[in-house]
Amino acid sequence: MYSAAHAKRNGVHGKNKLAPLYLRILKSQSEWPDKDEFLDVIYWLRQLVAIIIGIIWGILPLKGFLGIVLFCMVNTGFVYIYASYYQQVDESEFGEGWEFAKEGFMTTFAGFLVTWIIVYTGIHANDSAF
Amino acid sequence: MWEDGLLIVAVSFFTAFVGEGLTWLTVYRTQKYQRLKAEVEKQSKKLEKKKESVNVAETDKASKKKLERDEERLRNNNRDLNFVKMKSMFAIGVAFTALLSCFNNIFDGRVVAKLPFVPIAWFQGISHRNLAGEDFTDCSFIFLYILSTMSIRQNVQKLLVLRHPAQ
Repeated sequence: MYSAAHAKRNGVHGKNKLAPLYLRILKSQSEWPDKDEFLDVIYWLRQLVAIIIGIIWGILPLKGFLGIVLFCMVNTGFVYIYASYYQQVDESEFGEGWEFAKEGFMTTFAGFLVTWIIVYTGIHANDSAF
Repeated sequence: MWEDGLLIVAVSFFTAFVGEGLTWLTVYRTQKYQRLKAEVEKQSKKLEKKKESVNVAETDKASKKKLERDEERLRNNNRDLNFVKMKSMFAIGVAFTALLSCFNNIFDGRVVAKLPFVPIAWFQGISHRNLAGEDFTDCSFIFLYILSTMSIRQNVQKLLVLRHPAQ
C-alpha cells in the first residue's frame, strides 16, 4: 500500500533502506521517516484493537456505560503506549500529544460498537427474556 | 436475530464498496477530475514556495498582488473540483437513500439486535425507531446500519485511497 510514490510525496527519498512495513510495526523503536505512514499504521492498529475489544466485551459480556468507557480507555491507552513507549516516536513531530488519540477515533468507535452489539446479540441475546 | 445483524453489516459492506466504486467510475477516473486535481496540487505547492520566499525578501506590492491572484485561482480550481465531485455524489446519495428505504421497509418493526447498553436519550429515537415496547436495549435496523456504515465506509475509502488528499 505504501508505494515509492507515496514515500516520495512525503519527502522520503529512500537513501537508507527501510525494513518492510510489517517488521517495523512489530519491532520497537523502528524508524518512521514518513509521518503519514506512521499515522496510517496507528489508524489500522486501532481498528484491529477495536474489533478485538468488541469481541471480548461481547463474549464476557461487559454491559452498559462501563463497556464504552473501558473501550475508550483501553483503545486510546493502547495507541498512546504503542506510539510513545514502544515506538518512542517524537510526539512534537505529530502536533499535539493527543494527535494519536484523534486519528480515526469515530470510525474506530463505530467499528467497536458494531462488533460488540453483534457478538453480544449472538451469544447472550437469549439469556434475557426476549 | 444474529443473522439479521450480520445481514445488515453485509449490506453496509456492499453499499460502501458499490458507492465508492461508482464514485470512482463517475468522478475520480474522469479526465476532468484528474486534470483539476493535478492543477490544484501543483498550484498549492507553487503558492507555498512563493509565500516562503516572499516572507524572506520582505513584501513588495507587486509580488503581493501576484500572490493574491494565484490564491484566487487556486480557490476557483478547488471550487470546480468540489463541484465535479458533488454532482455525482448527490446522484449516488439519492440512489442509496432509495435502497435504504427499501431495507427499512423489510426490517420495519423488527428487533435486529440486542444492545449491551442503553443508548442516551438523544439516540433512542434512532436506536428504537419503529419498535414496540419500552425496552431500549432493542436495536432497530437503522441504528445498526448507520454504525456499520460509519465504520466500513471510511475504512473502504482509506483502503482504496480514493479520498481527495487536498480536502
